[in-house]
Amino acid sequence: MFTERFLRDKRGAVLDADERACLEQSIREIRTLPPRSTLVHAGDQLSQSTLLIEGFMSRYIDDRNGLRQLVAVHVPGDFVDLHAYPLKTLDHDVATMTAATVAIVPHRALDAILEDRPQLGRKLWFSTLIDAAIHRAWLFRLGRLDAVGRVAHFLCETNARLMSAGLSDGRRFALGLTQTDLSEICGLTNVHVNRVLRHLRENGLCVFRSSLVEILDPERLVARAQFDPAYLYIDPQPPRPSPFQVEA
Amino acid sequence: MSQPTNIPQAQTEPGIATAEAGFVILDGPDGVAVTMTPRAATETGQSLISAARAAQQQHGGLEEGADV
Repeated sequence: MFTERFLRDKRGAVLDADERACLEQSIREIRTLPPRSTLVHAGDQLSQSTLLIEGFMSRYIDDRNGLRQLVAVHVPGDFVDLHAYPLKTLDHDVATMTAATVAIVPHRALDAILEDRPQLGRKLWFSTLIDAAIHRAWLFRLGRLDAVGRVAHFLCETNARLMSAGLSDGRRFALGLTQTDLSEICGLTNVHVNRVLRHLRENGLCVFRSSLVEILDPERLVARAQFDPAYLYIDPQPPRPSPFQVEA
Repeated sequence: MSQPTNIPQAQTEPGIATAEAGFVILDGPDGVAVTMTPRAATETGQSLISAARAAQQQHGGLEEGADV
């Protein structure tokens, strides 16, 4: 099932089996994409949206000198450019960061969902509102936090999102990003990010090495980042089938 | 809505500059996080000192650190 991570563990917006099946049926094709490939250019006329199944993707804006600011990072389960459905063109580019697998959902299929399944339509809207909440948190990060706080906040956020997607145990997760990516996310130079990562490591907070993140002291990392996961709307106690329960 | 007392104020603590891999990194005050070449850092430092002197003269009878 390609949509199993979409809105997984989100408070009040988890898809039921029928809605998930409907969303699965709306997928026109599955694509595998190489790392660092641009899927959508700003200004393109769009008639489809992209659900990320595996890998990491970004949304970014380049300045006039070609220097890049990442304005969003997407993890598996994210409907990366669902906002393109009403907007039809985007004001930013969308690209893969790692190799990625995506599901392509035509906008006409979304038309049908909104027409026939308003509850599912509301949940799609919910997912774009979480995107907006994450943007607000990114504004806070860049506007109020120092260099260590920015990197720590991004790592805390990514850990929480990947836990929600079932891709982190809360202490360790794979993050196929480079220090340059972290620079473009946090508005820092490579040299600065390198020093921040050393600081986090030497202070026993977190280690980022070979695309693996290990959180050594979650409480202190969260405190250093001023990270409050409320904006991610994650259900702290999601309903889970018992591991001993046999499906009928 | 923020109260007037919560708006950003002039920083009373200095930023910390360090050398790293042939560059100068300035952390703080507040959310400042900048990397500069040694030349840029030197000129920024001189500009800061010059502006600080001018600001002290502008203070007149006001104590340094008063709300601005």
